[in-house]
Amino acid sequence: MEGLINNYYETGAIILFGIGFAILLLHNNLIKKIIGMNIMDTAIFLFFIAKGYIIGRDAPIIIGAHKGVHGYINPLPSALMLTGIVVAVSTTAFALALTVKLYDGYGTIEVDEIIKMRSD
Amino acid sequence: MKSIESFPLIIILILFVSAFSMPLIKKIKIVKGISLVSMSLAMILALINLIYVIDKGGYLYRIGHFNAPYGIEFRIGIIEAMMGLLFTFVVLMIIWYSIYSIDKEIKQSKIALYYLLINILIGSLLGVVYSNDLFNCFVFIEVGTLASCGTIIVKDKKENMKATMKYLIMSCLGSGLVLMGIAYLYSMTGHLNMSYIHEELINCYLNYPNAVLIAIGLFIIGLGVKSAMFPLHNWLPDAHSSAPTSSSAILSSLVLKAFVLLLIKILYRVFGMEILEYYSVLNIILILGGLGMIFGSVFAIYQKNIKRVIAYSTVAQMGYIFLGIGIGSNLGVSIAIFHIIGHAVTKSALFLLVGAMIEQTGQKSLEHLKGVGKEMPLTLGLFTICSLSMIGIPILPGFISKWHLSLASIEAGNTVLIGVILLSSLLNAVYYFPIVINGFFGEENLKGKVYKSKSKPLKELMPVIFLVVSMVYVGLESKGIINLISLGFE
Repeated sequence: MEGLINNYYETGAIILFGIGFAILLLHNNLIKKIIGMNIMDTAIFLFFIAKGYIIGRDAPIIIGAHKGVHGYINPLPSALMLTGIVVAVSTTAFALALTVKLYDGYGTIEVDEIIKMRSD
Repeated sequence: MKSIESFPLIIILILFVSAFSMPLIKKIKIVKGISLVSMSLAMILALINLIYVIDKGGYLYRIGHFNAPYGIEFRIGIIEAMMGLLFTFVVLMIIWYSIYSIDKEIKQSKIALYYLLINILIGSLLGVVYSNDLFNCFVFIEVGTLASCGTIIVKDKKENMKATMKYLIMSCLGSGLVLMGIAYLYSMTGHLNMSYIHEELINCYLNYPNAVLIAIGLFIIGLGVKSAMFPLHNWLPDAHSSAPTSSSAILSSLVLKAFVLLLIKILYRVFGMEILEYYSVLNIILILGGLGMIFGSVFAIYQKNIKRVIAYSTVAQMGYIFLGIGIGSNLGVSIAIFHIIGHAVTKSALFLLVGAMIEQTGQKSLEHLKGVGKEMPLTLGLFTICSLSMIGIPILPGFISKWHLSLASIEAGNTVLIGVILLSSLLNAVYYFPIVINGFFGEENLKGKVYKSKSKPLKELMPVIFLVVSMVYVGLESKGIINLISLGFE
């Protein structure tokens, strides 16, 4: 329990991940599904960046004197997540475009109604 | 000779660069030409690379000359080089086939975009196969996922939209889980390079027993969704049966395989046998693989649409690969990789042949395709050879992998698996033979059908004939191929 409170960033990230996962799987509305997907991705970004952050240290940008290796945080996770954000944005854009097409085709964005239409 | 080592990178660059030149060109004939030329160039480079690797052994290739923990690495062993050749060869044949038939399936204005997507898709799949960097693999996975979604939606029918949405949601779920797994590994080891993660993990996995287990689970489920592991396969039949013929051939024979190969790489290179035995997670993969083999076939029996039958058969065949991974011995994994090769060649031929039947007769349901053997004897003949391989008739690759899987399961002391393999083969026969028998024989089926009336011209069937010939070749040369794979797996 103490571990969970001390690492509250990670705990929060995992809870957010669970929320996003559940929304993505359980909601019928496609827009809500895409929101859930975004929450899930953001949770991973938070987890990664929290792993790279060390309390009391600066961003790895040298202003004036170089403070030595122990003066800065780990920049790699932030750089990775920049790529991750790009990937998430493109997936979201694709999913939203697809939702527009589905709405044109079926007249609804509720998944259960779309599935029902097959049986007719 | 040193320059051959950069061929894998050049292959990926050729595919990506040529892809984006396609939409700039108005004439569709030239676009098709670029697609064919770039893919055949890639195949030739992959072949030279394979010969070099067999001769000189595997190597690590630094991208941009940065040393390993800081830069991205490609790891080219025999297996990777072989997969490079397999992917480019199969896609080349599929593109060759699609050149004659794609105009009938998708709109004229989208053909250039379609070939763009295929090139990007194959480039990213090869990236997944070659790369030795986990985050790099993740980016390639995402590119590949979006491109494969694109190759389904390009047909622009209602059912395609629904299938693509299903596929996209499941894939996003899968890639989210994979990224979370990478986050876990990175926070435990501080590396993204597979070899370095393995070195660190071997020393410290006892310190974080739960976190390592969660990471393994995230990777298995995440990549399992993408490669249609049994209970997570429900997106596959819709996506593969509604896509255009050439897309379903690529999706079924290659896209799934790249993700399985990544799973093999992660399980055996990143975690390694010691950790897998400590957690005994392989048994779960074994059970899911076995269930997939049986239930995939059972579902296939009840399908009425011929493309859905083939799609469910893919679920069953992926079960064989997971079974091989789950056995966990050297032989088991080698056979899983051999089955990747055999199945890629066979399933692409099957999808193309079924596509030819649907295109010529205009019928999708099994009921209406009875007697097609009289109208298209060559097509159904080739279909018969492929289905014999799926069922497991000696010489053909399907039999070889079933035989060696049985041997591997005896070696592992798990004789129940032989029963599962046997049952699955019988179930395969239950749904493949009726298609063939109803196609060729039966008085009432053939009434009113004119011999060869609907057969495709021979030149349009040439790529499929090449695929079938290469399938028989894989079967005949199985011993050498399996030896090479187990050499590469060491």
